[in-house]
Amino acid sequence: MKRAELIFQSIALITLAVAFILFWNFGKGMSFVENGLLSDTTATDSYAVLQENLNRMIPVLLGSILLSVAIAFYLEEYLVRTNWKYQIIARQIVILASIPSLLYGLLGLYFFVFQSEKGSFFTHALTVVLLVMPRTIQSTQRAIRGVDISIREAAFALGAKKWRVIVDHVFPHAFSAIMAGIFTVISRALAVAALIIVVYVWTKHTLQSGDTFYIPGSAIVLLLSSLLSSVFSSFLEAKTNCT
Amino acid sequence: METNNYSIETENLSLWYGDFQALIDVSVNIPAGKITSLIGPSGCGKTTLLRCFNRVNERYGNVTTKGKIQILGKNIYDPDVSLLELRKTVGMVFQRPNPLPISVYDNILFGLRIHSPFRSLTRSQSDEIVQEALTSVFLWDDLKDKLKTRATSLQLEQQQKLCIARLLPLKPQIILMDEPCSALDAKGTLAVEELMSVLSGTYTFLIVTHNMAQARRVSSECIYMFLGELIEHRETQALFETPEHPKTADYVQMRYG
Repeated sequence: MKRAELIFQSIALITLAVAFILFWNFGKGMSFVENGLLSDTTATDSYAVLQENLNRMIPVLLGSILLSVAIAFYLEEYLVRTNWKYQIIARQIVILASIPSLLYGLLGLYFFVFQSEKGSFFTHALTVVLLVMPRTIQSTQRAIRGVDISIREAAFALGAKKWRVIVDHVFPHAFSAIMAGIFTVISRALAVAALIIVVYVWTKHTLQSGDTFYIPGSAIVLLLSSLLSSVFSSFLEAKTNCT
Repeated sequence: METNNYSIETENLSLWYGDFQALIDVSVNIPAGKITSLIGPSGCGKTTLLRCFNRVNERYGNVTTKGKIQILGKNIYDPDVSLLELRKTVGMVFQRPNPLPISVYDNILFGLRIHSPFRSLTRSQSDEIVQEALTSVFLWDDLKDKLKTRATSLQLEQQQKLCIARLLPLKPQIILMDEPCSALDAKGTLAVEELMSVLSGTYTFLIVTHNMAQARRVSSECIYMFLGELIEHRETQALFETPEHPKTADYVQMRYG
């Protein structure tokens, strides 16, 4: 157990170090987009551009994660499952969470960046929120549901108040599962961001000024099918949640 | 405050889970300072009745209750009743031992801590309370060097005893037990039963059990329930040897069940 943990941790550290070195060198050596990767910035080399963007987006990211965790606790602990409020909110979250993150990325790229000349802070923040919140809420809900009911019963039967049970027992228990969910979501969001940068850079170089950005028909068909399938999956998921 | 020798009195208690009626007009008096057992086939409402007495049933949402429950002479559905105080007076032990996943020491103090102002307990007071509680459930010798270990890593028998011990600092009057021995082996069962008989003078015990031999061994009064109704409530020996109701006779003489 101990050894496995050690190996895992060293692999993680080495990966991080390698990634950092690669990133540093790339960042110093290349300057591929003149007016900013993701938003209107004056920085030129990609490292500085990325840093500027991260500086703006990290507060949004953290804020939306904290808000999501709070919403998940409210839904699971303070609303009864059969309550109409729970039903409405939970269903919307399930639908939003089941949509592939790439779609949000493309949405952000197309509507928020290409349509509005230059990307603004608001449009980026909205994309990040859409990308992060539904999934974080969902994974946190699952983590909370995973806490054994006997622990709650024991605490309630001793006369503990609800917030006390949540703070003392449910949260510490669900903590690692919640964090796991959050990191999965962050990793997906970053991967999507990387993909979007690639698309953006390519289109930037191929499009003349005045051209409109368009998506090939076959891609639209694929995206619609993907959307359809995710709506179907969310429908099934909502059905299992209700019972 | 106590007008008679009953800890719990119910009058025409009915309870519904949604449309399903789980308890039908149950009127029962549980004597103070004795062990009373609740027996009956699965789904007859034993656990539901037990859970009414500290109102943990209400957490599940769609529960409707009618009738009256008096605990120590006080109607527990009165608007001025504090749920927290009620649960302090009426402790509960569950079917599966469920110590909180914190240390043995903190488990015993958890109840007391939530009922007293922040940091009002001194270290020496806490130590004393823990020792006293563990001594009364015969765990002190086994656990005095393991107070800092996680309670969930103990043996099942010790866990269940700990679950009883953590009620004691709250000085409950009544202890409800929902099949407390069904997860334990013969030795563990014996230990818990002995503990109950030792404590029974001080506390009122109400125990749900599927094990009729256990009901016979530990309880002085016995209640037989069937499909939500209370069929018979008498002294244990009388109920088992000369049951009045044919349904009780069928069950206690093991013609079915």
